[in-house]
Amino acid sequence: MEKNSKSALIIGAGIAGIQAALDLGDMGIKVHLIEKNPVIGGKMAQLDKTFPTLDCSICILAPKLSECYRHENITLYTLSEVNYVEGTSGNFTVDILKRARYVKEDVCTNCGDCATICPVRGVPNYFDANLKNMAAVYIPFPAAVPPVYIIDKNTCVYLNYGICGLCANICGAEAIDFSQKDEILKIDNVGCIIVAPGYGLLEDVSPLTNYGYGKYKNVVTALEFERLICASGPLEGHLKRLSDGKDPKKLAFLQCIGSRSDRDKKYCSSICCMYSTKAAIIAYEHNNDLESYVFYIDMRAGGKGFQTFLRRGVDEYNIKYIKSKISHIDVDEDDTPVITYEDYDTSEIKQMKVDLAVLATCIIPSQGIEKLADVLGIELNNYNFVKTNPFLPVETSVEGIFTCGCAREPMDIPRSVAEASGAAARAAEVIKGG
Amino acid sequence: MSFEPKILGFLCNWCSYAGADLAGVSRMQYPPNIRVIRVMCSGRIDPKFIVEALRVGADGVIVLGCHLGDCHYLEGNYEAEKKFDMVKKFLKLIDFDNRVRLDWVSASEGARYASMITEFTDHIKTLGPSPAGGDNPDDEILEELKAIEEAAGSDRMRALVGRERKITEQENVYGETVSLDKFNEIFDLAIKDEYNRHRILGLLEKESKSVKDLAKELKIDSSIVLEHMITLKSRGQVDFGELLGITPTFHKL
Amino acid sequence: MSEKESEDVRIGVFVCSCGTNIGGLINVKEVAEYAKSLPNVVFTEDNLYTCSETGLTQIKNGIREHNLNRVVVASCTPRTHEPLFRDCVKDEGLNEYLFQFVNIRDQCTWVHMKHPKEAFEKAKEVIRMGVAKAAKLEALENIVVDATPTAIVIGGGVTGMTAALSLANQGFETHLVERDDKLGGQLNIINKLFPTGQDASELLGSLKKRVESNPNLTVYTSASVKNIEGFVGNFEIEVEQKGKSIDLTIGVIVVAVGASLLTPTGKFGYDGNIRITQYELEKKLKNNEVKAKDIVMIQCVGARNDERKYCSNVCCMTALKNALLIKEKNPQANITILFRDLYTPGTHYEEYYRRAREAGILFLSYKLEKEPIVEENNVKVFNEYIGEEMSIPYDLLVLSTPLIANSDNKELAQMLKVPLEENKFFLEAHVKLRPMDFATDGIFICGAAKWPVDLTESITQGYAAAGRASTIISHDTIEVEGATSFLPEYNKNLCTGCEICITVCPYKAISKNENDEIEITQVLCKGCGVCGATCTSHAIIIRHFTDEQILSEIYAFGGI
Ligand SMILES: Cc1cc2nc3c(=O)[nH]c(=O)nc-3n(C[C@H](O)[C@H](O)[C@H](O)COP(=O)(O)OP(=O)(O)OC[C@H]3O[C@@H](n4cnc5c(N)ncnc54)[C@H](O)[C@@H]3O)c2cc1C
Ligand SMILES: Cc1cc2nc3c(=O)[nH]c(=O)nc-3n(C[C@H](O)[C@H](O)[C@H](O)COP(=O)(O)OP(=O)(O)OC[C@H]3O[C@@H](n4cnc5c(N)ncnc54)[C@H](O)[C@@H]3O)c2cc1C
Ligand code: SF4
Ligand code: SF4
Ligand code: SF4
Ligand code: SF4
Ligand code: SF4
Ligand code: FES
Repeated sequence: MEKNSKSALIIGAGIAGIQAALDLGDMGIKVHLIEKNPVIGGKMAQLDKTFPTLDCSICILAPKLSECYRHENITLYTLSEVNYVEGTSGNFTVDILKRARYVKEDVCTNCGDCATICPVRGVPNYFDANLKNMAAVYIPFPAAVPPVYIIDKNTCVYLNYGICGLCANICGAEAIDFSQKDEILKIDNVGCIIVAPGYGLLEDVSPLTNYGYGKYKNVVTALEFERLICASGPLEGHLKRLSDGKDPKKLAFLQCIGSRSDRDKKYCSSICCMYSTKAAIIAYEHNNDLESYVFYIDMRAGGKGFQTFLRRGVDEYNIKYIKSKISHIDVDEDDTPVITYEDYDTSEIKQMKVDLAVLATCIIPSQGIEKLADVLGIELNNYNFVKTNPFLPVETSVEGIFTCGCAREPMDIPRSVAEASGAAARAAEVIKGG
Repeated sequence: MSFEPKILGFLCNWCSYAGADLAGVSRMQYPPNIRVIRVMCSGRIDPKFIVEALRVGADGVIVLGCHLGDCHYLEGNYEAEKKFDMVKKFLKLIDFDNRVRLDWVSASEGARYASMITEFTDHIKTLGPSPAGGDNPDDEILEELKAIEEAAGSDRMRALVGRERKITEQENVYGETVSLDKFNEIFDLAIKDEYNRHRILGLLEKESKSVKDLAKELKIDSSIVLEHMITLKSRGQVDFGELLGITPTFHKL
Repeated sequence: MSEKESEDVRIGVFVCSCGTNIGGLINVKEVAEYAKSLPNVVFTEDNLYTCSETGLTQIKNGIREHNLNRVVVASCTPRTHEPLFRDCVKDEGLNEYLFQFVNIRDQCTWVHMKHPKEAFEKAKEVIRMGVAKAAKLEALENIVVDATPTAIVIGGGVTGMTAALSLANQGFETHLVERDDKLGGQLNIINKLFPTGQDASELLGSLKKRVESNPNLTVYTSASVKNIEGFVGNFEIEVEQKGKSIDLTIGVIVVAVGASLLTPTGKFGYDGNIRITQYELEKKLKNNEVKAKDIVMIQCVGARNDERKYCSNVCCMTALKNALLIKEKNPQANITILFRDLYTPGTHYEEYYRRAREAGILFLSYKLEKEPIVEENNVKVFNEYIGEEMSIPYDLLVLSTPLIANSDNKELAQMLKVPLEENKFFLEAHVKLRPMDFATDGIFICGAAKWPVDLTESITQGYAAAGRASTIISHDTIEVEGATSFLPEYNKNLCTGCEICITVCPYKAISKNENDEIEITQVLCKGCGVCGATCTSHAIIIRHFTDEQILSEIYAFGGI
């Protein structure tokens, strides 16, 4: 088959962007994959296990990450964002802003020596939901791709005060490069663009004060909980109360935090019912004395195998579901959360004490989506997700620009992956069809 | 000096080897006794690899794969489990079963890998050196291990273990599902029989022997030995040798 | 046998210091020196960073100057660096499979930091094992077969039409086989569509037009697939259309056979007249036949119970849609929806739910343990919230029944050699990361055939399957790694034909050919090795992880 001279450009390297890149790359189409973080993988890399089959997230993701990294048709741009786009379907020109890493990508051997010597400690690691600290030179997680360290320019002593440079001294590979600057890269001949910047979470923009989040140590968000139970997370998978380090015996999962609400977001986040059940199951697997309560409005479990999964939760993992509406959370003198709720089955107001309360916070549009939409000229819907037509699910309002994954609606991994392959097919139609 | 066991690990590429690497990246420390052979999937582990490792002096052997359900090749670890269980049953006959272990480690379980290896090393230390290892291995044990390797490698055992999942788990493949209990009953009997038969073959390799001698050496009833001789003869693996007085002897073919 | 094998084995060992990561704990010079004493090793060297340009050049020089035909690198881990070193030896003209990795960093110096002496001994031993394996390595070539750039889509509902269109638009010759005498599947019976409210016939019409006018697309209605032979890139498919048989050579297969509807005979007084299904309601609405004033809808009829555990995904939305339509026409109508959990996930659907509540539709929840009781003119339901039984009159009762798997899925599955799940929907290779693939290469699944889905997902999945299929037929050939399972000619006489290998192979790579001989389709094999470990007569060889190679490592471990 003739070589395709047009390339595809994908924005966001979460599982959706990665899958689209791999499919297009495997079709023989050149792909530019743009990721604003220092590593690829998106939220999926942060998850412990995944519903409904409970496979370990990084185990199934890591082979995809390295495939992406090595693929002959895929060029990866980390720490990068799209700054400017011109042209039309079949022929876009794109400016990429690539921020400095201060470590040479092709030289760093990922040995970690630099981090051991760096005098700066206590830089919270976003990847571990800020529950674990790192040095100013760091890699977000051990299996990260690209396997290259990065210097945090906000905390590095050298970059701020011109002294230190210890990392550069110890790095035998001579990978540290303070002279790196942010740069603009121009990519032309882009046939189409796939927008896959994923999602954000309500806690990114709201203090969640109603639920005592931030105030009470034993109230955590679901994503934090993923890191807490993950074997490679800050607690090495040994779940503890954050106030006193005791083993929790009773967990509460509070659903629809900020979703389906008149106060916050009106829509349903689609995945929290399932991931909370998953989290309760994993917690139980770690400790069989545990009981979990899920406070929910409706159980949204329509996907393949989801109902069976819920049943297993009840039958085998000591999970109890309470149809209810949360009023608020306080704590007692032990920092133990006390949940006040209305039980929908009995229409009574009740209270329950639990060791740890986990908030299923609302999935919101990815941070910076407005700016990105502006650059691309695409429309957003009334919730600021990328606007699509229900029967043209991967098309944006601009011809030649497609979308997939949580960028356009909250969805789980299987659906994100399917949409990614779908967007790849549409992109291929444009690129191959001429 | 304290006893430092020799431990061999078989790790599948996708999860357990990745988990072992993660232990490294995270600088989690564990005893330096283990040597690792990487295979693509735990399902690749042929029973003979495990027994052979014991025969060349491993004090312990650990097979690690992805958690059940996570195998990169869908179901390789289920197959691995069946084969391992068979080896273990054989090894139990000579009290070696606690020197081998099968477990699962995911790519994110660096700490689990480190503690598992630490624990297994300690466990083997308390067991002490393998009688099949060291400078003066026990010949009898070596003979027994050889019989196990051959029995486990026999087409009968391989067919049984190869069909096990199909027979016990999947409906109506051969018209019916055999219950696990029933299968285990057949399987355990086969283990014992094949082990003894291969012990007999091992003994006959060196010289012709009578049923009585064999029974004495193997410490089993001579009527059972006789039954085995009939089977072995019908399989064409042994034949009558010269008469010793009035007692017939057998030799290996 | 290749030339390389007849040559003497000449192994070069390169020991990496990885800065101080390895060299800081153990003396890599001494390790390299030790390696020199191992059988077949003719050259050793230690490098500061073997993976750096300098290191790679050192390997290449080593190969050239010492005529090496096997290379061993002892350094970090094969999981990240094997591809790099393989490419390096390949650049120097050595077959990439004649390379062996030894891990002395991630699984040695990094994890035995307090035991330099033991780590040093361990490094030497694992190198000994690696060298032993290297000596037995064989050159392998990647396996390449031709692929026909054509596709067949089975099932001409929305999903199948979407998939076929996308493939055709990508330039592939595409065949669409529909059993019915017309395209469209369930879309033919639906009145209006949630969430847009447009006529189903509109969507169907425009799809059909594009399908019928596409030059790359051939449609076969009143047709079915009769026989499938072959494998990815090379399927031979027999299609029967009105008694006529058509033979096609096909590269990839997309399954889009949709689902069927449950008729709740004997349940909740179903009579197809005033007690009907949503499906029948769609028809009535289309024909403007709904005159009822008191309408009760019951959700999850025959779903989410012991018999059928799953949630059918589309029924809550269908009920809301139809309730709103009735309300629009007749604002006086009393509509009550009895539900267990209302399934309106995501952005658009939750809005719909709000709209329905605002329109005055009454929602009452019930529990599985206390199902509504349908009487002549009213429905009795126990409402937990109020804590008492309510009696709701109706003159039209609508039962929301689930989509169920087609009754003939099994036949098709057997023809394709792909599995079904417990509810008899098709089962994909991996729920999360390979949602459109079957484990068997070259066959894909999408739409309601896989699981009940709405149109948005049907369409997405149609595209997605087309995307996945395109990754294969975009190339003239299919190439897979050489490290596959293999039944060599000289072992064929060992094979007893027991067929156990066929049952254990997860990718259906093994079959019996017309001569009753075991045949391994190399392009389907992923090299897991299960068949080799299982073969009752030790006839199958797993390339690159052969018994001989693994045993050589074991012997080297034992010091033999
Ligand atoms: C607590 C929790 C648990 C979950 N558990 C499960 C589960 O068990 N099973 C399951 O199926 N799903 C689960 N999910 C859902 C899952 O995380 C998502 O389905 C999936 O991550 C979506 O992938 P994505 O690629 O669309 O988005 P993301 O993972 O968000 O990836 C988007 C990527 O784009 C990058 N990006 C963003 N903006 C830009 C920009 N402007 N330029 C360049 N790059 C950009 C981001 O840095 C990120 O890397 C869970 C979600 C949460 C919150
Ligand atoms: C009452 C009702 C109302 C609905 N309303 C809406 C709505 O308003 N909005 C919405 O988004 N979704 C709605 N849906 C869901 C929607 O109908 C499905 O998502 C969609 O039709 C699935 O499309 P499909 O192509 O996968 O399957 P189908 O529509 O079932 O099509 C499958 C096709 O394959 C053919 N076929 C089957 N077996 C074979 C074979 N062996 N060989 C060849 N051909 C074969 C069939 O004849 C059929 O034409 C509704 C569903 C129902 C039941
Ligand atoms: S920058 Fe240097 S010291 Fe740091 S990880 Fe990379 S190679 Fe090692
Ligand atoms: S130069 Fe910056 S990153 Fe390097 S050691 Fe000093 S503070 Fe840390
Ligand atoms: S998925 Fe469940 S928890 Fe999440 S917003 Fe929807 S109903 Fe609430
Ligand atoms: S190695 Fe695995 S994939 Fe290949 S034929 Fe054997 S069982 Fe099948
Ligand atoms: S398992 Fe071995 S002996 Fe049996 S059919 Fe397969 S190749 Fe032949
Ligand atoms: S790949 Fe790990 S057990 Fe199969």
